[in-house]
Amino acid sequence: MNRLPVKITLLIAALVTTTLLLPSCKKEKQSTPIAQNGDMKVQFDFVFGSNQLPWEIGKTMVHTKTGDTLTFSLLKFYVSNIRLKKTDGTWWSEPNSYYLLCTDCEEGYSFTVKNIPAGNYTEMQYTMGVDSAANTLGASTGALSLANGMFWDWNSGYIMLKAEGTSPNSPSGNFIFHLGGFTGTNNVITVKSTDFGGAVLDVEKQKYPVVKLLANPARLWHSSPSVSVKSVIHAPGPEAVTMAKDFYNNIAFKALEQ
Amino acid sequence: MGKLLRLKQAGVLLLSAVLLLLTACSKKEVQDIPKATTDGWVRPAHFPEPVYRFGDNVYSKAGFELGRKLFFDPMLSRDGTISCASCHRQKDAFADGGAAFSMGIDGGISRRNSPVVFNMAWNKSFMWDGGVNHIEVMPLAPLTNPAEMGDNIKNIVRKLNQHPEYPTLFRQVFNRDTVDDQQMFWALAQYMSGLISANAKYDQNIKGTASLTTDEQEGLTLFRQHCASCHSEPLFTDYSFQNNGIDHVFADSGRYRITRNDEDWGRFKVPTLRNVTLSGPYMHDGRFNSLEEVLAHYANGVQQSATLSPLLQKNGQPGLGLSDNEQQKIISFLHTLTDEEFVSNPYLVE
Repeated sequence: MNRLPVKITLLIAALVTTTLLLPSCKKEKQSTPIAQNGDMKVQFDFVFGSNQLPWEIGKTMVHTKTGDTLTFSLLKFYVSNIRLKKTDGTWWSEPNSYYLLCTDCEEGYSFTVKNIPAGNYTEMQYTMGVDSAANTLGASTGALSLANGMFWDWNSGYIMLKAEGTSPNSPSGNFIFHLGGFTGTNNVITVKSTDFGGAVLDVEKQKYPVVKLLANPARLWHSSPSVSVKSVIHAPGPEAVTMAKDFYNNIAFKALEQ
Repeated sequence: MGKLLRLKQAGVLLLSAVLLLLTACSKKEVQDIPKATTDGWVRPAHFPEPVYRFGDNVYSKAGFELGRKLFFDPMLSRDGTISCASCHRQKDAFADGGAAFSMGIDGGISRRNSPVVFNMAWNKSFMWDGGVNHIEVMPLAPLTNPAEMGDNIKNIVRKLNQHPEYPTLFRQVFNRDTVDDQQMFWALAQYMSGLISANAKYDQNIKGTASLTTDEQEGLTLFRQHCASCHSEPLFTDYSFQNNGIDHVFADSGRYRITRNDEDWGRFKVPTLRNVTLSGPYMHDGRFNSLEEVLAHYANGVQQSATLSPLLQKNGQPGLGLSDNEQQKIISFLHTLTDEEFVSNPYLVE
């Protein structure tokens, strides 16, 4: 106990600590035997109508049900709350999970879910729209920033889907559908899931699996009238619910590439 | 004792070594600007807990002052001519005194009367129809409405980042690399929450530092009898939506615009009556210029309609049936809600 003075003992301790801490300063990645977290991509592909015609922004299409000729200039929507089910039945939920998708958005019509615990997953849950709580929390950042123009200033809540474009069938020549609503019967939020068609999603570092989902913008008019009758929606309500739900409900798993 | 001292010295040495290393490891230089601490937001003792809890938006003196600078800065409007304070002036209790509607950029005219801006931390919703659900998102409408300040948020954020002073001021409050819209809305929320009016004669009477005159006291008794079920103390509103009978056909659907519920036709949010002598004209469309007109309306001008508040009917007849004398006494009481200190405190304005 008394062989070394306390001061010297502590100096040695300080030196040892210093030596231990030094390697952690190095910026190079360390290799470790423990499986590391990985990323995955979720991508939306599009087709139009029951004939599943190829579709993109700016392409003129005829809607088989309404007969309208439609050229989209904008299709922008939120996807949120990504959850993955492990083979043991437990769920991993991505924290702060909000994505805004459009042609000019960060990753276009796809997004990268980062830092997923390595493992095998049998199901993915995702929410079309922005969950109710996030609509009531005030100013936010990232995909939920008020600067994105996706929040109603007069009737608080996120515009969860914008579909805009031109149509000779519309009296004004345009169509503008801003769909949202998060309370009561006006709620458009739709939680969906896919089992990857029976495949298993393998997440680990160095891999970058891609989950492809298929959406069909023609479904916006699945049970809504022609743009000659209704070409503008700017508020939550039954019309927005019908239109958004018809689109959301039809979104389906397309492929898992890994 | 000597051993203990040496132990302490060595401990400091060890700590310094570790700290030095940690500093050297971090990618960014350690900011010498400390994160602002909570100071200055005090709930008046006779007020309830606020609705706004600040959360991550830590209230500070510097945050209030930054919000104040923003509130008075016309740069936030598209053409640099209109600030929030243009239509919310301190002498009018932060309403637009004398104007039924307010003038925005390009000669634009607001749809409704500019409301007062104080005691906002207690508001359950914002705007006459309650369409806005949070104090932080409240400024979005006036900032972007083409008839008001008419800019877009991305452009405002760009202007703030290019400004000679704002980036430093924002960093001092929020400690982020660049100004983003969340920080702007947070600073404005701090300023609006910090505008507290709680020192009128009414309040001083509660605290025992002033006493009401006989007329004022009788007015208070009448007020509690006829008005306080909606204009409830101490904030003088219960934040409910009511059709107060100023119309039976509604040019402005009011709360219905938000809920699309038939019961909400012609309903508007009950406004606070604090500083009401300064904030006229009155009602959502500024139709009444004086408190005498307002009281006369409640006495015998209430119009019947399907959504009329049941509180404004007596024996099946619309109106409160107040005598001239009773109306005058209520007005006398309303004058005790004027907070002279609040509307003259130079710290609250730029």
